[in-house]
Parts: sequence; structure tokens; C-alpha cells
Amino acid sequence: MTLAAIIAVLFLGGVAAWLVERYRPGASRWATLASLVVSLVLLAQLWASATPGSAHHWWQSLEVAWIPRFGISFFLAVDGLGFLMLALTLFMGLFGLVMTWSDIRFRRGFFYFNYLWTLAGVVGVFTALDLFLFFFFWEVMLIPMLMLIAVWGHEERTFAAIKFFIFTQASSLLMLIAIVALVYIHFNASGQVTFNYLELLDAQLSPVSAWWLMLGFFVAFAVKLPAVPLHTWLPDAHTQAPTAGSILLAAILLKTGAYGLLRFTLPLFPDASIQFAPVAMAIGAISVVYGAILAFAQRDMKRLVAYSSVSHMGFVLLGLYALNTVAIQGAVMQMVAHGLSTAALFAIVGALQHRLHTRNMEQMGGLWTELPRLSAIALFFAVASLGLPGLGNFVAEFLVLLGSFGVDHWITAFAALGMVGAALYALAMMQRAFFGESRRTTTAADQKGLVDLDLRETLAMLVLAAFLVFLGLRPQPVFDTAAPAIARSLAPVTAVEAAVTSNSTDRPTTAANWPAATHRGETP
Amino acid sequence: MTREELFAILPLLVLTAGIVLLMLQVSFHRGHRAALVTTLAILAATLWACFSVGAALPTSGTVAATGLFSVDHTALFFCVLMVMAALAVAILAFHHLESRGASRAVGSYPEEFYILLLLVILGACCLVTASHFASLFLSLELMGLALYPLLGFTVVGDQSPQRDQLLSLESAMKYLLLSALSTALSLFGIALVFAASGALDFSAAAAALRSTGPSAGILTAGLTLLLIGVAFKLSLVPFHIWTPDVYQGAPTPVTTLIATVSKGAVVALTLRFFTQVDLFSLPVLSTMLAVMAAASMLVGNLLALQQGNVKRLLAYSSIAHIGYLIVAFLIGASAFGQEAVIYYLVAYVLTTTGAFAVVSLVADAAQPSIPGGPQPIGNAGEDPFQVEFYRGLFWRSPGLACCFGLMLLSLAGIPLTIGFIGKFYVFAAGVQGQMWLLLAAVVIGSALGLYYYLRLLLTMLQRDSESRDLEPGAIQVAVSGQVLVGTLTAILLLFGIFPQLLINWINAL
Repeated sequence: MTLAAIIAVLFLGGVAAWLVERYRPGASRWATLASLVVSLVLLAQLWASATPGSAHHWWQSLEVAWIPRFGISFFLAVDGLGFLMLALTLFMGLFGLVMTWSDIRFRRGFFYFNYLWTLAGVVGVFTALDLFLFFFFWEVMLIPMLMLIAVWGHEERTFAAIKFFIFTQASSLLMLIAIVALVYIHFNASGQVTFNYLELLDAQLSPVSAWWLMLGFFVAFAVKLPAVPLHTWLPDAHTQAPTAGSILLAAILLKTGAYGLLRFTLPLFPDASIQFAPVAMAIGAISVVYGAILAFAQRDMKRLVAYSSVSHMGFVLLGLYALNTVAIQGAVMQMVAHGLSTAALFAIVGALQHRLHTRNMEQMGGLWTELPRLSAIALFFAVASLGLPGLGNFVAEFLVLLGSFGVDHWITAFAALGMVGAALYALAMMQRAFFGESRRTTTAADQKGLVDLDLRETLAMLVLAAFLVFLGLRPQPVFDTAAPAIARSLAPVTAVEAAVTSNSTDRPTTAANWPAATHRGETP
Repeated sequence: MTREELFAILPLLVLTAGIVLLMLQVSFHRGHRAALVTTLAILAATLWACFSVGAALPTSGTVAATGLFSVDHTALFFCVLMVMAALAVAILAFHHLESRGASRAVGSYPEEFYILLLLVILGACCLVTASHFASLFLSLELMGLALYPLLGFTVVGDQSPQRDQLLSLESAMKYLLLSALSTALSLFGIALVFAASGALDFSAAAAALRSTGPSAGILTAGLTLLLIGVAFKLSLVPFHIWTPDVYQGAPTPVTTLIATVSKGAVVALTLRFFTQVDLFSLPVLSTMLAVMAAASMLVGNLLALQQGNVKRLLAYSSIAHIGYLIVAFLIGASAFGQEAVIYYLVAYVLTTTGAFAVVSLVADAAQPSIPGGPQPIGNAGEDPFQVEFYRGLFWRSPGLACCFGLMLLSLAGIPLTIGFIGKFYVFAAGVQGQMWLLLAAVVIGSALGLYYYLRLLLTMLQRDSESRDLEPGAIQVAVSGQVLVGTLTAILLLFGIFPQLLINWINAL
């Protein structure tokens, strides 16, 4: 029930925000804040009620028949992975709201309506266990996001919004075909029409159809992730979106792709995924390096951060398709850490643009003296993004590389180059924007001097920083929370692998020999 | 004819009597509002007749009224759909004619519009119940003949701008000529079928097909010609050339009528014809339909990309939509195929009616401020049919723009709307029939379609004029128009979120 309540609170909060703004300008923010806080409280309650280690895998689930004609039900459930993603979603939603508290002037009520509906859609995506419902939420989160970009975006907003939407929508239609085909094959075998994920896990697929269906899912998730040949919507959408929209996009919406791969593609199509894994890992590694190179080449600071997302999400893809627990733990950690660090970077770019009215780094420089607090925080998140040990991103990328190295040395080595690239672009960004001589063409309006981050913004940033440090120093809670879900997603894959290796004993099982990420203290 | 047979065609009888009644009323008392009220009453009576006949149908579900008509639940369902669309068209027509000074101008006779409208509906209802080539042809012609004057109806009122009159005449002439051609083709097709089977009712044709097998050349040729005639009415590529011009030039309510009732009735007839004669077993026809469907989806969407005129845009989009529908149609032999076609058709009729309703109401509201005369309007921002006119509509008339936006999203097949469920049915049907190439065309077509739907949607959302006092620019739509659009939107959302309601109804047919 809690899950449905969270979604309902967000949907209704959106409507309320739209309505109250009519009567009291500015009230929509408080309505948004209230509904986010209520959802977070509900989520905390969920955490408290969860009993880890119990036989029941799902912490909580809710199933109500929706379209019985097709065996479609309103089926929500949450496990550790879903909980992590929900926490990230709501927390980043709150962060985006606080950071852009006074940014939006135009039609504020409608803005927060779209903002909350996007979040509600994402929460639905992370909890839906009915494939139709999943697709439904997958699309529902797009429309308000489209509005956010198209109405409150920057100069090229219409183009960016349409591009974003067409990429995601066209690819998700492929997924819809794959979903329907999967259901149909399952129906032919069992005589039962159902979109229930748990039942479709048992579907018996021929290798050819499994391969094509897997590709249908993969393309939709790879566009969202984004993986390299399909990433071109991302720099435009991220750059043109308003700051709050960029935070939503980077911190949350990209994660839906990774989540989909882990939750749906791997367990539903284990054979095809094993076959496809080398290709996917290669795509991931290419994304890592390509994103880093392009990020280095940008002058627009927001574009730089956007391309760095391509690079970081490449690690997620690499880790997921290494198909072992260590790498996938790393990928999940990367999803969380990247969500935190990139959201902060976008917020910083947004704050800079708010003050300087430009995102062009060639017109910045020497900002440290004028904006010491903002610059120091920017430095923190820049080094977090380049993977400084002690912060969450380092743990994540290290685990991904560790886990994938046993699977494919060369691809992993190639991806590791991305770490060098990350250091290059992150430090170059710091150098160009915050150090050195000021290259700003000061106009009369700017003579008043720049205002540094105020208390609200600083606090929000510091909370994020604290989380990153915590994740870097003590990542174990995240691993423990995600472990059962990962094990479950990997179970079909390992079963297939075990069958293969028992047939051909000479095949090396390097991946299996890597240490599992369990509590050291628990092992005797 | 027995009593049961007469009762079974009660909806047709009510409509016919209503037409006579309206004609008499007009000849004694001319009044625009009175004509509208009578029309609405006749349509409501027809709805009642449909439901009462549906409730009283025997358990077999079919009543053959003479050899010409056969009434069953499916046919009655389509009748209800057509009559509902006609209700919307009548209301739109009232606003359309009023805003062009129908009641004030000398020499304008708006009442005729409703008589013609009822004739079209009569034709459509006959068409969906037809079980004989004679009734098929007659009702097709009845619909066509009533549509020609409707398309050129703008000429009657001397208050309408000359530009509209020219376009309207053009559209009527085009439709007349091309429709005559297609009629000739289908008539020739019917003749060939008669030559091959020696009978004119569907069941005899089916028997002939069974006995001769699919190799019979003359029969196949006849059916192919008939199918071309149908493709013409459905404006499937390559028989779509007339569509954009006719849609653009016609008075918008008539565009609505031709896009929904005329096409919907032909789809219903084709579905019945194909099922009863079992034409799905003829690979020639299926292949032809598949090719035309793929071409319609691609060409329709590609050409729509270029359009600056909303009516032309919707015309091309309707070409593409019939293409999607044919994908579901191709597995029509199964119960699921029927269900998919009907659901998609309902979604299409509902959404198209809604979209054209908004276009029509917006144009009516802008009518007083548009210059008359034969010249096209130079400034695209002042022409109510140009995309530019809709710039920032969301901030000026949020309610109307919201409804229009939802209609567009439904046309694009986005969840929460009925269009998504329709698209889902198309996908399910395509997967079931394993028509992967057609599905690829659907995906490509939908992606292309998104572009122009979104462009229109985002045009409405543009905020170039940031000032808050945009209210004077709000579009004043009459209350009945608002109610109409609001109702259509509500139904669109209802069946989009709870599709089971409509599915249950369709499955009960």
C-alpha cells in the first residue's frame, strides 16, 4: 500500500501545486516540498518495516487487477534495488526543488505539476512488476519531462525536447513489441495471457526469439542509459533543460535504463544476454572513453557535464554485462553515486548560469575569488566525478573494473582509460572556470558583484557531499541492500552459465572465483 | 418482411422518418436552432432504437432483414458509434454556420446541412448492416451523394469569405470526380464477382469462393477492384491523393464527418465483408492490404511532416492511422482481430472527432477577425488553420489547449489516452500475426508521427510573449462547444485508463 500511496501523493501533489499557485503565488513550491517530504516519510516507513533476511523477497507488494482481458494488473513491489532507486529518486527530487527554489518565474504551478508527475512516473517505473504497467509508467514520466524541457528550457529547447522524446519513444515502441511478443510466446506455451514479470520469468523461449526480444528491450534501455550510438539526444536535452530538469534527467531518468537492464533484460533473457555480453561490454567501454573525450572538448559547461554522464553510465553498462556480482554491485553503486555527483554538478552549472548568464567556460575563469563557497563545492564534486578514492564514485568504478577484468581484460583496460579522461575533463573544467584570470566581460548589470551560494543552497550541497563521503568510506549498506535483488537477477544467468560449464569443463571460470561482496565479518 | 425483420432495421427506419420529418419542418418553418434541435432529437431516437434492437436480438445474434440487410450486435455497435460522431458533427456544424452568419444572411439555408448530415448517417448505418452487394452499393452512394453538397456547403451562405467558398468548391469537385471513379471501379468489381458467382449476396459469394477456390481469376479480379474502391474511401496510399485537398477545403464539421463516419462505416463494412466471404484466405488481397497499409503509414506520416495547415496535417495523419488499423485488420479472421479493429476504430473516431472539433471551434471563434475575399491569408499567424495560429494557445486558453493536447497525444499513441490502447492492440495483433515488417513500419511511422504531433503541441506551449496579461487573446468558445470537447476528452481519458470497460462491451458483441 505504501508504494501506491507514494505514487498517489506525488500525482496529487502535482495537481495541488498547480491549483494552489493560482490563489497564492509561490505556494506551489511548498506544496511540492510537502508532497516530497510525505513521500520520503512513507519511504522511510517502508525501510523500517522491511525485514531483511526473511524468506519473502519483496519487501512489499500490491496487486490489483487492471485490464483482465490481457492479464494486466496494477502490480507494484519493491525490493532492495527498488528501494535504493526510490530513495535516490525522492531525495534527488527534493534536492532539485531546494536548489532551484527561486529559479522558476514563469507559470510556476504548472512547472511543479510537471516536476512531480515526472517523479511519480519514475517511482512507478522503479516499482512496477507488470510489464504493461512498467511500460505505462515509462511513458508517463516522459510527457512531463518533455514539458519541462520545452517550456522552461534554454534557447534551443523545442528542438531538444522533440529529439529527446522521439529517441526515447521510438525505442520504447521496440520494447513494447518485445513485451507483447514475450507475452504472446508465453501464452502459446502456457495458454495464459499475463504481463506479470514473475510469471514471464519462466517463459520458455527459443534462442532466436530470445535474442530478438532481448535486443528490443536492450535498445530501449540503451537509449535511456545512454549508450554510445544512441546517446545523441542526451547532450541536447541536458543542456537545454532547466536546472531542475537537468537534475531529474541526469540523476534519475538515466537510472531507469540501467534499472531496466538489471531488472528485466538480464533475468528474462539469460542466454541471449550471455551471448550479447561482450558486445554490450564493448559498447559500455566505448561510451566511457567517447564520453570522456567529448566532455573534454566542450566549451559549454553544461554540455561537459552531460557528456561526462555518458562516460559514467558507460561504466554501468560495462558492469551490468560483466554478469558477476562484484561488477553489478559496482554498477548499482555507480547509479547511486553518479546520481548524487552529477545532480550536484548540474546544480552548480545552473547556479553559475543564474549568476553569469552564460554556460560558456571561455567567459568564466577566476571565479574562485568571487565565489569561494560555490567553487570549493564545485571542486569537491568535480573530483568526486573523476573518481577520487574515498568517495562513492571511486568505489563504484573500482568495483566495475575489478569485476569486469576477469571477464575481458582488454575491454576493461580500454574502459579504464576513461578514468584518465575523467581526470582530464574534470580538472580542465575547474581550471577554465574557477582558476586563472577572469575572462568575464563585465557589463554594467554585473558591477554589483556576484552573490555566492546562500545558506539553503550550501546546505543542500553539503548534504550531498556528506552522502558521497559516506558511500566512499562505508559502501557496505548499499551492497547489502542491493545484494538479494542482484542475486535474483543473476540467478537465471548463473544457472545458464553453470549448465554450459558443466558441459565443457575446460572453460575458465575466472568470474566466479572473484570474492563475493559479502560482509567480511560474517564469513567465518 | 416479418415483424422481427422490420423491428431489426428500426434504427434505419427512425433515421429515414426523421429525415422526412426534418424536411417537412424546414418547409414550414425555417429556423437554424429548431433544425438543430430536431436533428439532435432524431439522432437520440436512433441511439435509443439501436439499443432497444440490440437488447431484443435473438440468441443467434443475427437477424437477416430481407436479403439486403443483416443486423447483428457488431453492426449496431458501429451504428451507435456513427450516430455519436454525428451528434458531435451537428453541434460543430451549428457553431460553424452561426459564426458565418447563417441566421442573419439573406439566401443562406443552414437547415439543409442537417438533412444532408442525416442522409450521410443513414447511408453509413445502411452500409454497416449491408449483406448484399446491392445494399452495399446503394448505401455507399447515398453517403457519397449527400457528402458532395456538404463539402461545397460554404457556397450557400454569402457571409462566408470567398476564399473559403473557392476551397470548398474545389474540395467538392475533387471528391465528386475521384469518388465517381472509385465507384465505377467497385461497380465493375461487383459485376465481375456476379459474373463469377452468379449471386449478389455475400453468402453466395462466399459459397462461390469456397467451391472454386482462390484460383478463380474473374472472382479475384472483381474482389480486387472492389477492394480498390474501398481503399479509395479509406484513402489508403496510393489512393489517398484526394484526401488533403478535400479535408482542407471542406467546412471543418464536414471534414470531421468524412474522416470519422465515412471512413469508419467503410472499415466496418470491409470487416464484415471480409469475415463473411472469408477473404482473409485470399493471399492476393491480404498482400495488397499489407502493402497499402505499410505505404499509408510511411507516406502519410512523411507528408504530414511538411504541413503547416492543421487540417492538412490531420488529413495525412488520418491516412497513417488507417494504415495502423489495417495492421490489426489483417488478422481480422480471429476474434482478437475483430476486437482490435473495433477498439482501434473507436479510438480513431473519438480522437479524430475531438481534434477536428477543436480546430473547428478555434476557427469559428477567429472568424469575425479574418478578412474575407478570395485571397489567401498572408500572415500565417492570422489564419486559424495554420499551426502558427496555435502559438501559445496553452497560456491563452488552457482548457481548450489541454483538450487538444490530449487529443494529439492520443493520436501519437501515448499512455493515459485511448490512442495508446489502440496502438497496443495494433502491436498485439501484429505480433500475433507475426507481421514483423508491418510492425517495423508502425514503429517508423509512429516515430515520424511524434514529430509533427509534438511540434503542434509545443507550438501551443511556446511562451514567446512572457507577459501575464494574455487573457484578451483567449479564444471564446461557446458553452456547448466546450461541453462537447470536454466530454470527448473525458471519454478519451476514461477508456485510456480503464480500457476494460470498452473491451467488455466489444467482447459482448
